[in-house]
Amino acid sequence: MSVVFSKENLKLARKIQSLTGENVMLCYQCKKCTLGCPSAYTMKMKPHELMRAIQLGLEEEISWSGTLWICLSCETCNTRCPQDINILRVIDGFREMSKDMNYYNPQPFIPALHRIFMALVERFGKIYELGLALAINLRMLTPFKDIDMAYPMLSRGKLKLLPHKSRGAKELQQVMARIRKIEKG
Amino acid sequence: MRYAYFPGCSLSSSGIEFNLSFQCVSRALGIDLVEVRDWVCCGASSAHATSHLLSIALPVLNLSHAENDGFDRLIAPCLACMSRFKAANVELEHDPELREKIHEVFDYKYQGKVKVYHPLEVFLEMGLERIREKIRKKLKGLKVVCYYGCVLTRPPKVAQFDNVENPQSMDSIIRTLGAEAIDWSYKTECCGVSMTLTRSDIVLKLSNDILREAKEAGADAIVVCCPLCQANLDGRQRQIEEIYKTRYELPILYITQLMGLAFGAYPKEVGIQKLITSPREALGLIGLM
Ligand code: SF4
Ligand code: SF4
Repeated sequence: MSVVFSKENLKLARKIQSLTGENVMLCYQCKKCTLGCPSAYTMKMKPHELMRAIQLGLEEEISWSGTLWICLSCETCNTRCPQDINILRVIDGFREMSKDMNYYNPQPFIPALHRIFMALVERFGKIYELGLALAINLRMLTPFKDIDMAYPMLSRGKLKLLPHKSRGAKELQQVMARIRKIEKG
Repeated sequence: MRYAYFPGCSLSSSGIEFNLSFQCVSRALGIDLVEVRDWVCCGASSAHATSHLLSIALPVLNLSHAENDGFDRLIAPCLACMSRFKAANVELEHDPELREKIHEVFDYKYQGKVKVYHPLEVFLEMGLERIREKIRKKLKGLKVVCYYGCVLTRPPKVAQFDNVENPQSMDSIIRTLGAEAIDWSYKTECCGVSMTLTRSDIVLKLSNDILREAKEAGADAIVVCCPLCQANLDGRQRQIEEIYKTRYELPILYITQLMGLAFGAYPKEVGIQKLITSPREALGLIGLM
């Protein structure tokens, strides 16, 4: 397959730029981002390849690679990029956009986790760790995953059985409702 | 000095001993902590993966409470919280459009006047001399590596603290306490904790790398400054040993626990009993257990 820079293909890079303020066209493929990336070893599309793929408008290939979701948000790539591109911000922008895209995602549980996390936070104002772990384990059909970790935590009082509600939960719910309204336009 | 204190979700559950030990050390050093009124979760790594506006709004909600109550300094011991708070301040300062959107979300207009600190920044600002004055028991004989985690210093534009690739703050405190801080190259490698519930294979690999390097460097313990790093390196250590067929038994101690012990606190006061990997042997080296 040969891919070329064209007006049509540039649309993706422009879309990312208007959403995040980051110009991926500045990337000159030095690979510093990839060399320092802790999860690159398991990415089908490495961070520098992701930047190239955005330059070339390969939206679907990016989604198929799963890279967006395997990124650990460790900020190493941004820190080291000689072109001062905030790569994590680009990845986050893409994650946000992918809500409206219908491409295959090989890592469906990771965005699912983020959604469950935010739903619990919206409800209680804080994170409910045990509830989060149970909910995602059920989604992944591995209900007993990491059960060996639970006992030592429970016995030391480091894991709460029941959720605790923050007094700020109500205000938080208002804020989240307003944000949804603003984002819908 | 008076600070708004944002413990965050972790410090009341898996990181409870960080809370205990930080409060203990704060009392000794005269750091006055007042919990942020009705605080809520900062959104950690999930908010910014779903909505940028939300990832700024959650820290702003908490910062506004602090500002409204007259604080101009806030301490967040969890690195995930600290990083989100600092990022919100920096982005609001440089992006007028974002500022406008945020003002649309809130009735109270946050002025960006609350400076965000990690406990290490506060300790260093007070000075090593002040720490030295409080020492009742030198930690001589203990060898540790300091593990700083991902976002204490990254990205420098946001973190604005310490040397980005080779931080020294914890090392200098450890040396002041009389223990040995071994130099090693995994100080700021990521432990992978954000993937702990979904891709534990990544977490196990990255954390194993860190534990292995610490052991090879000759450390009796790893010293950390974030509840997520701690929960990961301590809580998953048995699994890691099983999968990688090895034995580390490396206690993962908070810097504030070692400071507290050196200041003369009982192990219980700084939550030593909450650790999963027993520090008995390591603390035995300094005659504490
Ligand atoms: S470090 Fe920056 S310039 Fe180099 S390949 Fe990565 S994104 Fe491109
Ligand atoms: S932020 Fe993501 S892409 Fe960048 S180095 Fe870390 S894991 Fe890799």
